[in-house]
Amino acid sequence: MLKTIGKFAVAALAASVPVLAGAADPSPTTQKIIDRGTLLCTGHNGSFFGFVEVNDRNEWKGLDIDMCRGLATAILGDPDKAQIVPLSWAQRFPALQSGDVDLIIKATTWTMGRDTELGLQFSIPYFLGAAQFMAHADLGVTEAAELDGGTICVEAGTTIERIAGDFLSSNNIEHTMVSYEKGAELRAAYLAKRCDAFAGWGPNLAVIRATEVDDSEAHVILSDQLSTDPISAAMRQGDEEFVDLVNYLIAALIKAEELGITSENVDEIAANPPSTTVARLLGADPGIGERLGLRDSWAREVIAEIGNFGQMYDRNLGKDSPYKLDRGLNALWKDGGVLYTPIID
Amino acid sequence: MAVVSASDTSTEMVKAPSRMSRFIRMLQRRAFATPADTAISVMVFGLLLYILWLAVDWALVRAVWSAQAVDQCKVDGAGACWSVIDARHRLILFGLYPFEEHWRSTAACISIIATVVLSCVPAFWSARRLIPLWIVGFAAYYLLMEGSLIGLPQVTTDQWGGLSLTLFLFSSVVLLGMPMGLGLALMRRSKMPVVRLTATLIIDFVRSLPLLTTLFTAAVILPILLPEWLQGDKIWRVILAFALFFACYQAEVFRGGFQAIPKGQWEAGKALGLSQWTVLFDIVLPQVFRHALPATINMVVLTFKETAIVIIIGFFEMLASAGAAFGTGEWAPYYLEVYAFVGLIYWVFIFSLGQYGEYLKNRMKVDRR
Repeated sequence: MLKTIGKFAVAALAASVPVLAGAADPSPTTQKIIDRGTLLCTGHNGSFFGFVEVNDRNEWKGLDIDMCRGLATAILGDPDKAQIVPLSWAQRFPALQSGDVDLIIKATTWTMGRDTELGLQFSIPYFLGAAQFMAHADLGVTEAAELDGGTICVEAGTTIERIAGDFLSSNNIEHTMVSYEKGAELRAAYLAKRCDAFAGWGPNLAVIRATEVDDSEAHVILSDQLSTDPISAAMRQGDEEFVDLVNYLIAALIKAEELGITSENVDEIAANPPSTTVARLLGADPGIGERLGLRDSWAREVIAEIGNFGQMYDRNLGKDSPYKLDRGLNALWKDGGVLYTPIID
Repeated sequence: MAVVSASDTSTEMVKAPSRMSRFIRMLQRRAFATPADTAISVMVFGLLLYILWLAVDWALVRAVWSAQAVDQCKVDGAGACWSVIDARHRLILFGLYPFEEHWRSTAACISIIATVVLSCVPAFWSARRLIPLWIVGFAAYYLLMEGSLIGLPQVTTDQWGGLSLTLFLFSSVVLLGMPMGLGLALMRRSKMPVVRLTATLIIDFVRSLPLLTTLFTAAVILPILLPEWLQGDKIWRVILAFALFFACYQAEVFRGGFQAIPKGQWEAGKALGLSQWTVLFDIVLPQVFRHALPATINMVVLTFKETAIVIIIGFFEMLASAGAAFGTGEWAPYYLEVYAFVGLIYWVFIFSLGQYGEYLKNRMKVDRR
């Protein structure tokens, strides 16, 4: 009993410290990262197209890697302070719990089970994966409604099978569904034109289109998004300030795109901010840093190093990458996507 | 197949035939003796040659070799696209090791190979030579790879990878596992029930667990259980667990060798007044090694191939590096070439191991002398 009271007293004291100090101290995880001098972030034991890859100079690259480098810049001021720990899919959650990594940024979907039973804490999503259709371009289709009367191939027993069936039926699109046991069989059947279209996870479809077919122009990924799969950073429970930090990192990247701030023009705009929002974001007006226990210039440094969200996307998955994946849902709210940010006031 | 007539062989007796003519005669007898034999042989050889030609045509004749010429790989009728190896071989050989420091990984790799090759040479087969050799070889590997102890930039073990990591894992596991296996086998033969039961328990316990589970526990679960100072680096935990796994199987191989030695030899040794250790080391063990050799080579070869399993605990060994080598948009279509390259590397090492095993078997033959 005494012990509990003691704990409460300590907690109350700890809670009152930021209020008294006026500015937040770095959170425990952030403090650990600062003391260590490196951010331990998840890589992959191999490659996950577009998200985690290795370039010709044996260095990591990809959307997830850029997020890690952004976080390292925000906390430590240097993207190269992100140390990427290669982990398999199965290993990522135990590795987070044992402290081998500070957080998981590894194409990880935010699910209720992980949030509750695994004791994780998820950031706001930085990517939405969606089930989509890919079709032969010579059919001339651009959206799923035009697949009426067509044959759709799917991988048997996956959630995609159910999602695609539900979507087509509820939109009254006549179709014949053909399921295949294995992904490779499915792709072979599609390429042999045994089906008009096939359903799969959007980023995977883009990879198949970019790599496994002779002519990527001959295939279109239809604009309809059948589902969403929110991809978030996962952290240990119990360090809300660190979650805040990661959330506002993602928010700053999206906000920068919304405001037209890129890695090229960030210094120019910071020197002469057109609005108070921009001034606040780039640290010309104080506030964005001290409330997270960071420097006020952190967002500016991050944008200068890795660019805004649109630049990261284009470089790794979008038009400047081999995959040419459309922004789709991952566009800003004002461009028809679902990306939005909290107000940075 | 036709029966050889007596007159045929009698003329051959007069002068010894050259190897070539003997081969031709053998072919005649075995493959072309009757019209039906000839037809089948022609078909089979023809098919084999055709397949061989397809492979050569793809791999060599129509192949594209340089990374700059990658556009030619997309041309219709292009063969193997070795450009991917040209561009990505450093990733396959060295994993995530920093690009500027690759000479260190190369040197470390050579040091390990030299150590293994030298330990295979009979002239080195004494504890006074082998132990210093191993210490020097492994120390050289570690100092070069890690770097901070000899004033080079530090490279932590999670950045080690590729072929040099595969070789290091393999040789450490075998070197640690072999004596451990012998120890367990001896314990299992002990007359003291506690020692014997302990060994039996360890062997049966570890053998009942899949290798994957053992390694996953060592890499991921142990750090949660152990205090910080006992954890050590992930790579050492994994090597120790792998070596234990190897030792438990190898102990059973040795046990088979022990069981082939008649009890009379021990008794004869004792009757001559030799100590138990002398009998063991000078009489029994050399014979045990001989009996256990084929199965041991088998274990060693299996272990070499099984090192690829560490991919699941996040080590960038050769196969993981190969996956990363074609795991990027521009190189993704050429996974076949990458696998062929990695397969060739595995083949070179495993074939050499097998040939060395054959050599050892011949050398150890008693009736040779």
